[in-house]
Amino acid sequence: MAVPSAETVKEVREVTRIERIGAHSHIRGLGLDDALEARNVSQGMVGQVDARRAAGVILEIIKEGKIAGRAILIAGHPGTGKTAIAMGMAQALGTDTPFTSIAGEETEIIEGEVVEIQIDRPATGTGAKVGKLTLKTTEMETIYDLGQKMIESLTKEKVSAGDIITIDKASGKITKLGRSFTRARDYDAMGAQTKFVQCPEGELQKRKEVVHTVTLHEIDVINSRTQGFLALFSGDTGEIKSEVREQINSKVAEWREEGKAEIVPGVLFIDEVHMLDIECFSFLNRALESDMSPILIMATNRGITRIRGTQYQSPHGIPIDLLDRLLIISTTPYSEKEIKQILNIRCEEEDVEMTDDALTVLTRIGMETSLRYSIQLITAANLVSRKRKGTEVEVDDIKRVYSLFLDESRSTQFLKEYQQAFMFNELGAPGDTMDTS
Amino acid sequence: MANTWIEKLRSAQKTCLLQDGRKKVHFTFSDGGEMAEEYDVRTDELLVRKWRKKLNNSFATKQTSEQWEYEIGEQLAPRNLESAGLMESLSNPIFVRKDSSTAFIGRVRNLPFPIETYMVTVDEDKKNIVIRTTNKKYYKKFDIPDMLRAQIPLDQNSISVAHANNTLIVSYKKPKAIIDMEKQIQTEIKKMKAAKDGDVDCTPS
Repeated sequence: MAVPSAETVKEVREVTRIERIGAHSHIRGLGLDDALEARNVSQGMVGQVDARRAAGVILEIIKEGKIAGRAILIAGHPGTGKTAIAMGMAQALGTDTPFTSIAGEETEIIEGEVVEIQIDRPATGTGAKVGKLTLKTTEMETIYDLGQKMIESLTKEKVSAGDIITIDKASGKITKLGRSFTRARDYDAMGAQTKFVQCPEGELQKRKEVVHTVTLHEIDVINSRTQGFLALFSGDTGEIKSEVREQINSKVAEWREEGKAEIVPGVLFIDEVHMLDIECFSFLNRALESDMSPILIMATNRGITRIRGTQYQSPHGIPIDLLDRLLIISTTPYSEKEIKQILNIRCEEEDVEMTDDALTVLTRIGMETSLRYSIQLITAANLVSRKRKGTEVEVDDIKRVYSLFLDESRSTQFLKEYQQAFMFNELGAPGDTMDTS
Repeated sequence: MANTWIEKLRSAQKTCLLQDGRKKVHFTFSDGGEMAEEYDVRTDELLVRKWRKKLNNSFATKQTSEQWEYEIGEQLAPRNLESAGLMESLSNPIFVRKDSSTAFIGRVRNLPFPIETYMVTVDEDKKNIVIRTTNKKYYKKFDIPDMLRAQIPLDQNSISVAHANNTLIVSYKKPKAIIDMEKQIQTEIKKMKAAKDGDVDCTPS
């Protein structure tokens, strides 16, 4: 009985994608070769060869980890791939990058198969719970008494008999490795991702070399409270006293000298940087001086405009003194061929089949209006084609959605014609420049 | 060799104290590590040897450095379940090293199974002793640090096993080199002046 139900669970999982498709979800890297030369189409990136090459150089700087406090500005017209380049950099850097310090350390871990887990609540309903956990390996069996925090995290991880788990003794962190092979024949509904693992051998307690990836903030938290690591998991971080902060700084410097820890300078990405005001810019100026500061990447689509919070005009809306510290990468508009390739990649990403003619029409739309608009038409056109039971998006589907949805210039045109009919018109036409302050 | 160990002890900073019928010797080594030994005053038997390594690798800058690691003897610290998260239950087998003058002895308490259950062997690399149980309830791999320090490989024939009162006793006969070395250390310690721990002058202000 249980077997078919497991099957259906699997099916549901396959239909519903866990991650939704975002505007830049097709980007997997910067698309550079080993010599930092940009390949024309690679890892979801198309064109912008110069900008990507420049970003690749910056990436090398970040990876070497020697230079802090550099700032980069990506400037370009709307829809020329500024955010895509930033995303590509983030992807190329990997998950462990954001401002982390890594240290190898030997810790004691307990690794075994759960034989029994028993948690008793007091009869009165309130008060501390008492728990016992029996773990075994192929050679031995041990009973552990559980503390309150450990009971909570075991419950949270949904640990049950037959699971193979590891517990880090110092931090109390529990990791589920999978189900024991001996339980493989239990008639139980199991998720698609259930892994079966061998019961561990030898002693339950083992010494293992682990590499921690932590942020400076996490080190601060560990040292500012008595509970240690556990405070991190409960999210109860509290205030970091400045003494602790300084103590950690000197300690980390010591670790670095001994070669035990390495500081990976992080990357702070600020999109639409012109929206910051003069006070933020002043802070950034100062923050960039610190030798612990991250690599700052900013993006803007503004030309010469007013700096927020002042009356002054400045390129990109950024004060000249900050601008002077920046390396500026500029992006250029895409060519027709590039737009076609991007649309093709997006079609694949959004699981849309499109005929060559339709793609050509869409490319023309992209050239005349904007790349974003034509990308948005992909899924809309796909829906229209599915409504008429078509398998591929054809030129007619594109035409239909083009007439259904206005692009920005047609919408402006429409507004100009029918301005009188809209609400609040009697107050007078608004100015044609957008006020961002 | 055995001499390097004696040299290490000699070069360490030592303090000696008489307390509760025990002679307590504290060594601080040049690398910042500490070792404390406790000898019975009457029999000169080694009761406790514990280590506190200089903390070289942990994100915690202060808390964990306080822990002593027991090589010989038993830690009689109060159990605090809440701060530890989880602890081995008291009903589990507990392994303790406790030596006599002629043998290294490992004792495992709370092992109720009959003596046929146990298999005690020397590991292939001749550095560890492994206790196995045929009913797969207990397994322990342990080394004898004294033998490692003297770089003498372990010998299966020196092991003897006994079981009584729910306790498994594994003894390993000390080789002659070790006995000689311990005598030498003993005479060195005898030469040290021990501070008497009496009522220290203390005037509460």
